[in-house]
Amino acid sequence: MFQHQYAMVLDLNKCLGCQTCTMACKKLWTDGDGMDYMYWNNVETRPGQGYPRKWDQIGGGFENGKLRPSEIPSREDYGQPFQYNYEERMFQGGLQVMPHEPVENTPNWDEDVGALMLGENYYFYLPRLCNHCTNPACLAACPRNAIYKREEDGIVLIDQERCEGYRYCMRACPYKKIYFNELLGKAQKCIFCYPRLEKGEVNACARQCPGRLRFVGLLDDPGSAVHKLVHVYKVALGLFPEKGTEPNVFYVPPFNPPRRGNYGKSILDDPRMPLDYLVYLFGEQVTDVIRRLEAELKKAQDGAPSEVLQLLIGRDEEVRYQIPKRESLVQITNAQIQPLRRA
Amino acid sequence: MKSRRDILKLAGAAAMAASVPGCRKTEKPLLESFSTATLDPLHSYPYRSWEDLYRKQWTWDKVVRSTHSANCTGSCSWRVYVREGVMVREEQAADYPKINATLPDYNPRGCQKGACFVEYVYGPQRLKSPLIRVGARGEGKWRKASWDEALTLIADKLLDNIYNYGPDTNAFFSVIPAMSPVSFCAGSRLAHYIGGVFCSFYDWYCDLPPGEPLTWGVQTEACETADWFNSRYIVLWGSNISQTRIPDAHFAYEARYNGAKLVCISPDFNSSAVHADLFLQINPGTDAALALAVAKHIIDSKLYDEPYIKEQTDLPLLVVKETGRFLRPEGVADVFYYRDAKSGQVKEAPGSMGSKTKSISLGGDDPDLHARFTHNGKEVVTVFELLKEKLAPYTIEAVAAQTGLAENDIRLFAQEFGTRRPAMIIHGAGTNHWFHNDLINRAFILLVALTGNVGRNGGGFNHYVGQERIWPERGFRAYAFPEGPKKQRFQNTTLWTYVHSSNKDPHLYNGKPIEHYIEESIKNGWMPLYPKNRKQKPRAMIIWRANYLNQAKGNEYILNSLWKDLDLIVDINFRMDTTALHSDVVLPAATYYEKIDLNTTDCHSYIHPFSKVLDPLYDSKTDWEIFKELSAKISQRATERDLKPYRDEQFGWERDFTRTYFQWSGQGKFKSDEDAANFILANSPETKGMQYGMLQQGPRRFVATDEEAWTSDIKPGQAYTPFQHQVERKKPWRTLTGRQQFYIDHPWFLELGEQLPIYRQPLAESAKYPFFWNTPHGRWSIHSTWRDSRYQLRLQRGIPIVYMHPDDAKERGIRDNDWVKVFNDHGHLVTKVQILPGEKRRRLTMYHGWERYLGFLQGGWQAPTYVKIKPTQLVGGYGHVNFRLNYWGPTGNNRDIRVDIAKYTPTAAEMKVILRSRDRKGAEKA
Repeated sequence: MFQHQYAMVLDLNKCLGCQTCTMACKKLWTDGDGMDYMYWNNVETRPGQGYPRKWDQIGGGFENGKLRPSEIPSREDYGQPFQYNYEERMFQGGLQVMPHEPVENTPNWDEDVGALMLGENYYFYLPRLCNHCTNPACLAACPRNAIYKREEDGIVLIDQERCEGYRYCMRACPYKKIYFNELLGKAQKCIFCYPRLEKGEVNACARQCPGRLRFVGLLDDPGSAVHKLVHVYKVALGLFPEKGTEPNVFYVPPFNPPRRGNYGKSILDDPRMPLDYLVYLFGEQVTDVIRRLEAELKKAQDGAPSEVLQLLIGRDEEVRYQIPKRESLVQITNAQIQPLRRA
Repeated sequence: MKSRRDILKLAGAAAMAASVPGCRKTEKPLLESFSTATLDPLHSYPYRSWEDLYRKQWTWDKVVRSTHSANCTGSCSWRVYVREGVMVREEQAADYPKINATLPDYNPRGCQKGACFVEYVYGPQRLKSPLIRVGARGEGKWRKASWDEALTLIADKLLDNIYNYGPDTNAFFSVIPAMSPVSFCAGSRLAHYIGGVFCSFYDWYCDLPPGEPLTWGVQTEACETADWFNSRYIVLWGSNISQTRIPDAHFAYEARYNGAKLVCISPDFNSSAVHADLFLQINPGTDAALALAVAKHIIDSKLYDEPYIKEQTDLPLLVVKETGRFLRPEGVADVFYYRDAKSGQVKEAPGSMGSKTKSISLGGDDPDLHARFTHNGKEVVTVFELLKEKLAPYTIEAVAAQTGLAENDIRLFAQEFGTRRPAMIIHGAGTNHWFHNDLINRAFILLVALTGNVGRNGGGFNHYVGQERIWPERGFRAYAFPEGPKKQRFQNTTLWTYVHSSNKDPHLYNGKPIEHYIEESIKNGWMPLYPKNRKQKPRAMIIWRANYLNQAKGNEYILNSLWKDLDLIVDINFRMDTTALHSDVVLPAATYYEKIDLNTTDCHSYIHPFSKVLDPLYDSKTDWEIFKELSAKISQRATERDLKPYRDEQFGWERDFTRTYFQWSGQGKFKSDEDAANFILANSPETKGMQYGMLQQGPRRFVATDEEAWTSDIKPGQAYTPFQHQVERKKPWRTLTGRQQFYIDHPWFLELGEQLPIYRQPLAESAKYPFFWNTPHGRWSIHSTWRDSRYQLRLQRGIPIVYMHPDDAKERGIRDNDWVKVFNDHGHLVTKVQILPGEKRRRLTMYHGWERYLGFLQGGWQAPTYVKIKPTQLVGGYGHVNFRLNYWGPTGNNRDIRVDIAKYTPTAAEMKVILRSRDRKGAEKA
């Protein structure tokens, strides 16, 4: 049985939509051959089509304990990794620099779009990565048993030696966070930066996040910020809990400001962003979380500090990340759970 | 030479050779000696040795700390990772020391653009050797040249111009010393010694908030962004911090968790508005009306800070009703009066420019804000009372109609602004880029002054556009213009561009064309214009660290006039940008990762340097090295051509060009760029005791401030905020009255009715064009840098985008991703449209900086714009209001432009451009 579980909490009320996480991940892990179209970490505007397009509507995950596989998204759904004719234009007297084909879709196609309700716009940014689920559908679906959950930290990996590229995992994942490298014939996905964590360095997407909205640690470490946000303050929720995979990436749900003329009213009273949409993404609990967060915000703005908001301020890396030393994780297999030592 | 991509290929290939014999599944690997049926990978997995694959990918041979200088105000500390001699990636160093335990720290500073700068180091846009144009300008046809040939060509031309037409026909353009002062100064020193014209940038790019020099007598003073956290009320006004202050935005959102309320005022529901407590979707260009309604509410409800405004502002000063001029003594200028309420006597206000008292302390007086009486036969009244009269029309009801806002929202906003302290306005280009930006600034500053928020932590009017402020200023000035500013030709670029191009402003101001005011201003000696001989025209332009042409308002006019008049255009650059493409000689510069320099910003109080991660690649050289060699070449050519010294009459300066290099090098003192950096550090109080070498380890906080340059001390454990010298120590403000001055009694201000802040509508140049043309700064580029970055473009739509509201699109039969033409009488552009529900109706937005050569089928983003100058920004000879480079001069505003839009069908020739490279997929993989 895996003994510990890494988790990440993302506070959507701090997200800038700047894609520094996306770029950090791209440059570190997916800049090689066959990977141009893949972004293990992406940020999408919600409501919106998402990346890959309509990933949230096509299926995956479990239903009554059984896998509910979907179609595999098409290359078009992921967006085009186009090239340009720079040299021709700049150094050879050629025509305008253009993508090598007309662009019809990209991973961030509907950036900042969102939707209109009663004439007013609403949206928020949703950064996404592999959820390193407690009950991973990808793992259950792999006929080759090449996907596993690391016992020491719960990170879900696709064995790049044993993967045969059958792509059952891609059908099974409800979040569509597994990608196929056509050149190598392998399924690939977010590895939760295990090489970094093993050396006490937090994930690139978190460490490079200028919005400072990511919290990383072991969910079962009572001293970790992620534990407190998920289990103590209960302000962070997983995406699509009904899909049955028990994701370990959690989100502090987003607010939007009140509608025109509503300043002074509760955001639950005639909200700019329909609550139904948040319930769709995060489940029924979201209403209660929003209500409590709003009360905390009001408390803080009236001059009384809020404990949970003080934690979400995340003043420095020590507040946001609790990365244990690797030895304390590896040794647990032959002993009872030791108090964790921090890196 | 190995590229980044090669390195990654190697890593990938090695890994796969081990894992997949024969690569694809033609040859299956032998089944391991286990039965997969017994494997339970949810709980335990035996085959984990492959995990080293990714562990190896996160390795490097060398890591070097450096930064970028793209004029973004970031000043972010980065580590660059090198593997097998190639820069592979970068990551924020996150090494800024904490200011104190309560304030959130500055880490990690950086954004997605800094996270992929290595693309430019090895990318196809990189300039690798000197180039001399062989085709038409802008065609992109070149021949490679040696450094010697290119520099000889330039040196001869500059010298020819000096002797034939005058030294003021040679123009130099480079922006923002703060982001890399050594590179900036290398060229400014050369301009200095050969008598060239040094052109401004901060006013030209309209990032200068003219209300600050007018009201405060400063260029721009803002708190460092950690101070946002100290606020209880933050108003994002024309500033979309989520996109344009990416490394700083967290302070605002964290301040909200600490009890601040966050208000966002913008015509569009932007990326910062989503996180606000109150969003005011204001009609474009009506911001001053809203501010004045808030000011009226604050005054009517007596929410103002009375002791503060009596001491710190000109509101109690007396004005002669008939003339509109301040009450002044006969014959003696620059002394002003208030009426002391205690004694009932008219008293001299202390601390003005003409006052003998060098303090604004009232010494027990109680200036009467409401005085209105007859003094020596003249009716006099306070500025405060005049202000109240001016504010009368700005009722909440009237302003709600003008701004399109709800009365309830305005009322609560005004009440909260008046009661929650400290309160600050975070100000940006969204409101600063309007024609009437001076009035807009002054109205905003009025709010924070009335409420006593200026000079206090967590308060103030904090303007952030452009990294205009260099902290080690004294050392910088001494290195940049060694003989002093009086011996340098400085030029406001807005005026220079307007006069030397076919731009023509059709508006009349008080019945007169702008040319009338321009000529008056030049005649009065208020604004300089070069060449001084009006029969001459600019002949040569040297551009470095900038993209003048692409970013210029009035693009189409400039291309057809100024650009044709120039005989020599030299661009020094690491990449082929639009200006480089339209130049005659292109000199390849080192990138940010191949040079030595310094870096500071007004967003934080630390200094840190550039480091050479690798020596300059290809045949490139650092800017410093290039100007060093150009100076040497000028001296060599002057000697070879036996040129006699040139008598520069303007300064009485015998310029002996055989000695230019000797002078440039400080008589041999500056042997390297590091010497220059150390000189700047050693000669500035801010960086006393610091040396380049020690800074390489990481950012250091400034140790002191130069009293002449700054308005507050830098204090350990406290975030920097300006004007504490004035508010705490009672040092006079740097204005005519020695106070925050809202009343400007310059004759032109009186003539145009702008002695006090008022609201003026945007210029309505033509009713036939219904859309405002809005070109804000955005997240995907820093001006034009990264606009052509493939990593960035793949996360957008690949080419420039015009955003429009769905209802406007519907009316015109335009659908998402259609080709569209945006046009007015000045120019047009053709590109694609995106339907954006958060966009304001009757406005089109295109984020600024797109390179003309990428994606547009026709024109460019500046094609519909033109240069227009506001008369009040041409003034001088008034106390604190005098021309100074990048401090005071007309701004190159661009928000009042209107356009129309129509669906566009590409021609057959254009379809070829769109489709032609389809067959060459991947041909140019970088």
